[in-house]
Amino acid sequence: MARTPDTDTTTGEPRSGLGRLRRRLSPPGIPQDDRSRARLVLDTLVLHLHPARIPAPTLRWTYTWGLGGLAALLLLLLVATGVFLQANYTPAAPDAYLDVLDLRSDVWFGDLIRNIHHWSANLLIVVAVLHLLRVFLTGAYRPPREVNWIFGVLMLLLVLAANFTGYLLPWDQLAFWAITVGTSLLTYIPLVGDRLASLLLGGPEVSGATLLKFYSLHISVIPLSLFALMSLHFWRVRKDGGLTLPRRVDEEPEEKPERVTTIPHLVRREAVWALSWLAAIVVFAAFVAAPLEGIADPAVSPNPAKAPWYFMGVQELLLHFHPFVAAVVVPGIVIGGLLLLPFLDVDSASVGVWFRSRRGRSLAAMAAGLSLALTPAWVLADELVLDWAGLLAGWPAVVANGFVPLTVAVVVLAALDRWVAWSLEGTVEERVLFVVSFLFVALVVLTVIGIFFRGPGMELTWPWAIPAAH
Amino acid sequence: MSDTTRIETIAGYAAAALLVIGLGVVLALEPTRIDAAADHLVAEQLDGAMTTYAENCAVCHGLSGEGIGATPPLATDALRSVAPEDLQKTISRGLFDTAMPAWAIAEGGPLSDYAVAELAVLIREGDWGDVRDRTVNLGLAPLVPFTTEPDPAVLEVVGALDDGAVLVAGLETYARDCVACHGADGAGTALAPALDDPALRETSADEVVRTISLGVSGTLMAGWEGTLAPADLDALAALIGRWDEVPAGAVPPPANDVPVTEESLALGESLYQANCAQCHGTDGQGTRMIPPLNEQAFLADTPDLAITQIVTQGVPGTPMPAWGDRMTAAEIQAIVGYVRAWEPTAPEVATPSRPAQAGPPWMRDESATVAAAEPTDWRGIALAGGVLLAAAGLLGAGFASFVRHARRPPAGEG
Repeated sequence: MARTPDTDTTTGEPRSGLGRLRRRLSPPGIPQDDRSRARLVLDTLVLHLHPARIPAPTLRWTYTWGLGGLAALLLLLLVATGVFLQANYTPAAPDAYLDVLDLRSDVWFGDLIRNIHHWSANLLIVVAVLHLLRVFLTGAYRPPREVNWIFGVLMLLLVLAANFTGYLLPWDQLAFWAITVGTSLLTYIPLVGDRLASLLLGGPEVSGATLLKFYSLHISVIPLSLFALMSLHFWRVRKDGGLTLPRRVDEEPEEKPERVTTIPHLVRREAVWALSWLAAIVVFAAFVAAPLEGIADPAVSPNPAKAPWYFMGVQELLLHFHPFVAAVVVPGIVIGGLLLLPFLDVDSASVGVWFRSRRGRSLAAMAAGLSLALTPAWVLADELVLDWAGLLAGWPAVVANGFVPLTVAVVVLAALDRWVAWSLEGTVEERVLFVVSFLFVALVVLTVIGIFFRGPGMELTWPWAIPAAH
Repeated sequence: MSDTTRIETIAGYAAAALLVIGLGVVLALEPTRIDAAADHLVAEQLDGAMTTYAENCAVCHGLSGEGIGATPPLATDALRSVAPEDLQKTISRGLFDTAMPAWAIAEGGPLSDYAVAELAVLIREGDWGDVRDRTVNLGLAPLVPFTTEPDPAVLEVVGALDDGAVLVAGLETYARDCVACHGADGAGTALAPALDDPALRETSADEVVRTISLGVSGTLMAGWEGTLAPADLDALAALIGRWDEVPAGAVPPPANDVPVTEESLALGESLYQANCAQCHGTDGQGTRMIPPLNEQAFLADTPDLAITQIVTQGVPGTPMPAWGDRMTAAEIQAIVGYVRAWEPTAPEVATPSRPAQAGPPWMRDESATVAAAEPTDWRGIALAGGVLLAAAGLLGAGFASFVRHARRPPAGEG
């Protein structure tokens, strides 16, 4: 019998099933010319995320800072380490805590994996917020990219949810009380708040039932939704025409930017970026341990009991506003406003320019400066001088201590906006930039005050005066 | 290759090398880390267990596990070699027919399984000297008289009574096995009721014997059937029925000193200076109208228990207030320990000083009233100044640049 050749002579297809499988899944070799490289991208699954060619300007480090890609990398890293953690974890009290202790003192690399998971999760929040900020500041969410902006905001909420549910899993004092404080915010939602809280907690307070619910949300519902949204997000990036083109502030938009092949120009940068962060995270996690306190004890509450750090802005608001306003109205307005942004700010002339224009840069700096001064001033004034409940004695607390101060804050912000509009002749995009910059800095300031300047009894104090937890 | 490409390539290789080296270092250090983590874990568990011990166990097993009366000691080499699960079982479920109750939540007790496991670690690996310090610092060192000797002089008087021999036997048994909980002279303590009690004297001897033999379930009262001989039980019943005939001081309280640690002395000093020095003087030398404490006559004649009682309840008819509702037991104990520490150097007769803040200005002892000035918090000032400066800088720079570009046409035309 004549020996059949390995490949079909007419189509070039390998004859063996394994050979065909290899050809479908992996590149046949590293081609040398750009054209074959472009072909390679089209022919493989992983590289198919990217177009074969991309505009050269979008490669600028100082435009995207690789934040979206970094977020995706962190998500993959979290899944990989999460699977290992899951293999040594029982979602029950107190076994969960004992398992985490075991990770530390019995399991090889257990501590490293846990530290990587912990720090990546915290880094992901920072990176996701910075990514959102980058897209906002370069106007990259304007039509036709509104929908992808909405996906992005939803993913940020899911990342927060993933972090929050994961916070409980070690079942230590830190976890127990942060989740107790965090979930108590839910009860201020009118009508359904109490039921929602007891549905989430599986009872009136944080318990083993809560642990099981949070665990299942943390390992299935939230990551699956995140990956679904991430796929949509990537798909929309390509459908909306790729990244927006970066421009310097005085540059004309290029009609026909130079295009380069994805391999090697983009893929090398991605690989370098991913490797660098991977190395940084592993080294950091090898030397800085994720916090772990004593076993959860419902009878002993730490003072101060603080929510996870990314919710400290909201907890700080709670000290100044009625809980309904601080925990429901303000976050509702912020999330709603974020979702509406691409429909308010639609002038696509300045897309791709950081801070829109030179005027925009000045306005953003002014907004940041004003917020940096006014937000701490408000916190101090409210703490030391203002007494809304006393001034408006007899009014319901939610009005006297909630809507009245909220209205004052909104009036101050509206006055600033009017000043920009009338005195500085700001356009809509400049006013949006001004207000969002102001609010973002305010959120950062509130979060910093909540984390570093609140001591026992949530009294204002200096960071170095807060007694150590242990 | 362009410069950027070269830098990126180098960065990529450097990162990959860092990753490999980093993981290698972690691998090399892993055995040490695991050992250290295991040691750290034991230290943390001991730390938790010492507090649990002070709060729950010290009252019967003693502040350093030495055992009290009929309660066995825990600080023994034999117990150190018992398997942890056996220790946990005993603590969780209690020991039938003894005063040891069940402590696990599942058995109706107050302790979680984790706390019980920590206690087992403590019994096997703990340092009982540290346990003693922890118990003292938490103010949980038992102040009840635990063991004591009957006063021979009073026993002679009792022996001369009608049928006095049985009372003497009862008092001896009482001083050996019962005084730890029921207190000196049967006066009762926080642990157990008084036995020198008219209501009890009405109870029949048979019922008293039955109670002592079988114990009272749900309380610390154990069944003593196996421990005490029938004659002892009868003698105790006789004693309880006739306690009104026994003169006071038959089973006196021992001269138990308040236990101290460095930490409790420091606490005692700060509390004394804040609350007591005003009247009793900064060195306990006393002031006009208020008696000195730092004086042999006072310290030699007043045992710690008496000072504790004076501080807690005050002295009616004098300016000495009751501090019991203002301070915790630990704080009062710390003050008593601080005052007692003067004894070795106390003068025979103290020289009272003037009250620190009374009388006309020229009579005041100014040196005692100068409060330590709050140190200026330069870091706070620097931080607040920095934030203000940054805010002003951003605002100013933004405004200046805005003014410069305000009249310019939008980007592209200029």
